[in-house]
Amino acid sequence: MKKTPKVVNVSDRAKKESSIAKEVLGPLVGMGLTFSRMVDNLTGRVDATIRYPEERRSYSDRYRGTHILTAREDGSPRCVACYMCATACPADCIYIEAAEHPDPLIEKVAKRFEIDMLRCVFCGFCVDACPEEAIIMSRETEISAFTREETLWDLKQLMSRKTLPEYGLGYRPNENLVESRLTFVPKEKVRNNLAGRVTLKEDVEMIPHVTYDPDKD
Amino acid sequence: MPKVTINGQELEVEAGKTVIQAALEAGIDVPHYCYHPDLPVDGNCRMCLVDVEKMPKLTPSCTTVVSEGMVVRTDNDRVKTAVRGVLEFLLINHPVDCPVCDQAGECRLQDYYMVYGLHTSEIPLSMKVRKRKVIDLGPMVVLDQERCVLCSRCIRFFDHVTKTGEMQFFGRGDHVAIGTFEDQPLENPYSGNVVDICPVGALTSRDFRFKCRVWFLHSTDSVCGGCSTGCSMRIDHRDGTIFRLLPRRNAEVNRSWLCDEGRISFHELMAGERVVRPLVKGRDGLQAPVTWDDAVRSINSALKDTADKHGPESILGFASPSATNEALYLFRQYLSGQFGASRFEFRSGSEDSKVTAQEDDVLRHVDKHPNTMGALNLGLASEELGGIGGAIAAARSGRIKAGVVMYFKPLVPRPGDEEAEARVAELVRSLEYSVVLAPHRADWLSDASVVLPVAAWSEEEGTYTNFQGRVQFAGKAINPGGDIQPVWEVFANLLYASGDNALWLSVDDVFGRLSETVPGYKGVLLAEAKTVGALPTP
Repeated sequence: MKKTPKVVNVSDRAKKESSIAKEVLGPLVGMGLTFSRMVDNLTGRVDATIRYPEERRSYSDRYRGTHILTAREDGSPRCVACYMCATACPADCIYIEAAEHPDPLIEKVAKRFEIDMLRCVFCGFCVDACPEEAIIMSRETEISAFTREETLWDLKQLMSRKTLPEYGLGYRPNENLVESRLTFVPKEKVRNNLAGRVTLKEDVEMIPHVTYDPDKD
Repeated sequence: MPKVTINGQELEVEAGKTVIQAALEAGIDVPHYCYHPDLPVDGNCRMCLVDVEKMPKLTPSCTTVVSEGMVVRTDNDRVKTAVRGVLEFLLINHPVDCPVCDQAGECRLQDYYMVYGLHTSEIPLSMKVRKRKVIDLGPMVVLDQERCVLCSRCIRFFDHVTKTGEMQFFGRGDHVAIGTFEDQPLENPYSGNVVDICPVGALTSRDFRFKCRVWFLHSTDSVCGGCSTGCSMRIDHRDGTIFRLLPRRNAEVNRSWLCDEGRISFHELMAGERVVRPLVKGRDGLQAPVTWDDAVRSINSALKDTADKHGPESILGFASPSATNEALYLFRQYLSGQFGASRFEFRSGSEDSKVTAQEDDVLRHVDKHPNTMGALNLGLASEELGGIGGAIAAARSGRIKAGVVMYFKPLVPRPGDEEAEARVAELVRSLEYSVVLAPHRADWLSDASVVLPVAAWSEEEGTYTNFQGRVQFAGKAINPGGDIQPVWEVFANLLYASGDNALWLSVDDVFGRLSETVPGYKGVLLAEAKTVGALPTP
């Protein structure tokens, strides 16, 4: 069954849902949250600062950190060197060289795959563009190095890094579409109660497909 | 001439032309796979269906000849639905592996799908008929039978253009596939053309395979530098590297074809070390890099000394049939105008006698220089010397003291090239003072008094004259590095430094003067030379 996208007129919806109670209470709820955070901070229930780098903030599951190249069952890269990521890349930081794959059904494989981490803007377009879920992102942020050459990450480094397990996976929108294997096992996400992490009490309703309808708007 | 109306546009079409030809010439796009302007009509793809008034059914426009009062529609719903249906049929067994297909970006299936299709495939991948992939068909072509739409363009190319008939359909029904008998490699000197005419990704180039996605490439219109045929071509390049050469349709010269040697001739250009700085031989007999200004000054004073001491006949101008017309014209202008030199030569072999000799019936000519006819038109062949042998003898006997020599590596190698190069080296060795303009480094360049780094083919713009006398313009595709200058600019600078008042600022300036003064270029407009080339008015 195909799902027809639900058309939501955003301005109508806002008008329908607005009420005096909401207009008045809304800011009060927000102020209340601010106040509760202040109380938390003053009483020392949570720390305002963390002791980086021993302590680290835990990032969202969709965080766009450094890239990971996923592997096939046999450990070879999933990448088929289609250059979709390089085409989508606004920073022009991906360099690929393609080679013949022994299996004619796969046809192409990346002989070289390099990302210039200093040029990368971590927009995640490469992940969106990838048809094979071969490139995903991690929550790793640290790319500092002593030389420029070390910031040019090659195929091997993108596929397996010792530091990856502790950071975990980041942005990977199509995880369930393609079977891919990671060359490391990510650690369980450590949830620590840190300042700056806002938890909303009520569930915010997600709008499924907001489509712009020119006739209505 | 019959008058037809296509999409409400009234056209006067030559009798005997087909509807698709009339439409395409008028700029009306008709989708097609099997129709090709330089191949016989086959009418098998059914994509070019059009609605002709008073005809009960849609008719393929590539087989329908225009007739008086015909009213054709290519854009109504009836046509669009039919085309969409045909496209859906063609895509039934297509593997849709666009991300790994080299044709992606210039594929007719992709293009027409975006215009006419946009349907969801009803056939899951598991139900598709699988055929063979990555079949090696010789040095130029890789075959993927799954992607083929069975338009038979490649089969007709080998049947009617090269008349060798290597390819054929095999199998029946769903399982029809193109191929060669027992996968024999295509060892045809024109096999690369089937890659261009293949509208989909079934035949891809072995040379260009996986090198670059086509949407990254920039194109420059040019003329092949491989032989005296002067095929119109397109240089596809990125970041200063040439990735492939493709034919440009020119009905007067090469139609839509290009030979394999010409197609891969850019590898020869990219191979080998380049001369990057002007080199001048000092008193110690060793060449040292200098600036262009110093090199120009030293050449001017040395040639002036020679002309004063031994007379203008002691200066030889040895041109190359690989240089552009503009370069050759200014070269002649510089030596004869400034020093009164009258001895010019360009033949290191017997180019002048080979220039119109055909190597085969399709395109290739025996003479592997792009501008021999231009050098002949500019009067650079001296009867007195009669070739490089005479020039060497004159230099040895002391009748010639100084010389300006151009040498370009041939783009299409042939046996005998090394002997020709050795003769040029011999000439340089026997001259007392020699200025050599060369793009590529060679051992014998150390004998020259001055070596100037110049741009090679594809790095400078200019015109070439092919075997017919047709003047064609080749654009500049890539920027050479270092201090490398185009040949015409080198002579423009030399002329300026030696006190010539004429301003040569661009190729247009030089060509303007050339078409006014030299009979072989009379009445040729640069704008014409930039498209399909132009013959001089007799």
